Amino acid sequence: MDNALYVGLSRQVVLQRMLDVAANNIANQDTIGFKVEQLMSHTYPMSPPSSPGVSLATVNYVQDASLARDFSQGEVSQTGNPYDLALQGNGFFTVQTASGPQYTRDGRFTLDAQNEIVDKDGDPVLSAAGSPIVIDPTKGPPLIAKDGTISQTGVNGQLVALGKVAVVQFANLSALTKQGSNLYADNSGQIPTPAANTTLEQGFVEHSNVKAVAEVTNLIQISRAYERMQDLMTSTQDLSSKAIDTLAGTQ
Amino acid sequence: MRALNIAATGMAAQQTNVDVISNNIANMNTIGYKKQEAEFEDLLYEDIKRPGAQSSDTGSVVPTGIQLGSGVSTASVYRITTQGTLTNTGNQLDLAINGRGYFQVLLPSGETAYTRAGNFSVNDTGVLVTSDGYTVLPQTTIPQTATAVTISSSGQIQVSLPGQVATSQVGQLQLATFANEAGLQAMGSNLFLQSGSSGAPVTGAPNSTGFGAIQQGYTEASNVDSVTEISNLIIAQRAYEMNSKVVTTADQMLQTTNTMKS
Repeated sequence: MDNALYVGLSRQVVLQRMLDVAANNIANQDTIGFKVEQLMSHTYPMSPPSSPGVSLATVNYVQDASLARDFSQGEVSQTGNPYDLALQGNGFFTVQTASGPQYTRDGRFTLDAQNEIVDKDGDPVLSAAGSPIVIDPTKGPPLIAKDGTISQTGVNGQLVALGKVAVVQFANLSALTKQGSNLYADNSGQIPTPAANTTLEQGFVEHSNVKAVAEVTNLIQISRAYERMQDLMTSTQDLSSKAIDTLAGTQ
Repeated sequence: MRALNIAATGMAAQQTNVDVISNNIANMNTIGYKKQEAEFEDLLYEDIKRPGAQSSDTGSVVPTGIQLGSGVSTASVYRITTQGTLTNTGNQLDLAINGRGYFQVLLPSGETAYTRAGNFSVNDTGVLVTSDGYTVLPQTTIPQTATAVTISSSGQIQVSLPGQVATSQVGQLQLATFANEAGLQAMGSNLFLQSGSSGAPVTGAPNSTGFGAIQQGYTEASNVDSVTEISNLIIAQRAYEMNSKVVTTADQMLQTTNTMKS
């Protein structure tokens, strides 16, 4: 009889985590390059202890199985800043952090005192050759082409190429882990390859792909499901107290 | 339930957003003002189930894992340095820069500040100064007897003196550009200071390669676009509201649990 209580409890724990994930999506709806996440749950079958000759049905608990990340394109909007880059496609920028290369869709870059292109934490953005990109401050603002080629106008008006911004893609996106600060790390050992079908837009940024309506609907579903589970657990409780009362009355 | 804290970070971030937007709206008519935008980043993630962790003895692994986020924070407030529209004032000492570059201003502390606000005047000794009375660099003295001041697009300051047919040059304006203008540190009064991320100033004459041209008799209006700011304000308010809905939902769920034992 108590099984129903535990099944309800397992569902409620999952629902609470679902709310945490939805809350994180909503909190990050204005975070550049943020990708929406959803908690996936699955059944967790367990056979209750059975007496000889009596076989009981399997009880299915609920367990959170994994986190699905929706890597679909976010909206792109113009900022006009020459160091703002938006990715169109499934690629990532590579940033050299203290704990190795990490990946991001947040292309709001700036220059540091060494004239290197850095992200907002000051970590250098890597070129396709794997080195930081250095801008010549005496020349005009850099031009970054759709394929990531950076060039600056020289004194005589000629364009000087400085390299190419690395845009990489992964075979298995779900192996990436979020590190905070809009960064992803890859701990699975897969080798990032130059991204195909990804273009860069200079002077644009990519917004999060959080859909407000979907998240609010999610909130309603979570809270209603939580209440339904509560009703189920309360009626289970009622059932057992009724059983106790009735059995005590027969004495 | 961490949803309560996550929603709180979301609400705090949107408050910052509204602060930045209100500052833009307040400075809509400030000469040379450049609008700002708040930039957000996600906070640390907690690994509940690591991707790639073994899920059985036979070597099957968790394909995606579970990482629970802990909300959002403001990463930076960012300046957008696009050109503002030029407004005709008719004042001969009002200068606007059409293109890249900043006027250089000598602060009382001896430091050099940079500004796009070219509403200059002369002080009691005839020196070209900003609206706060700080000397515009390189220092230029306009003779008291000058009947007219002409400033060319390349920054040459010429005056007409009584009894002279030809104008005489009394100064040459210099502009400074930065590799990363957005990295300049704002110090109020329309002034900026060089910072670690702006790069070193590169000075040159106006209208030369890489520098904007001077427009005499004009000032540069702010680049704040009221329609964008108002729609940003609406978006920020809605986002704030949505985060508060998360708080309500979490509260309802806790309430439900509290009423379980009747």
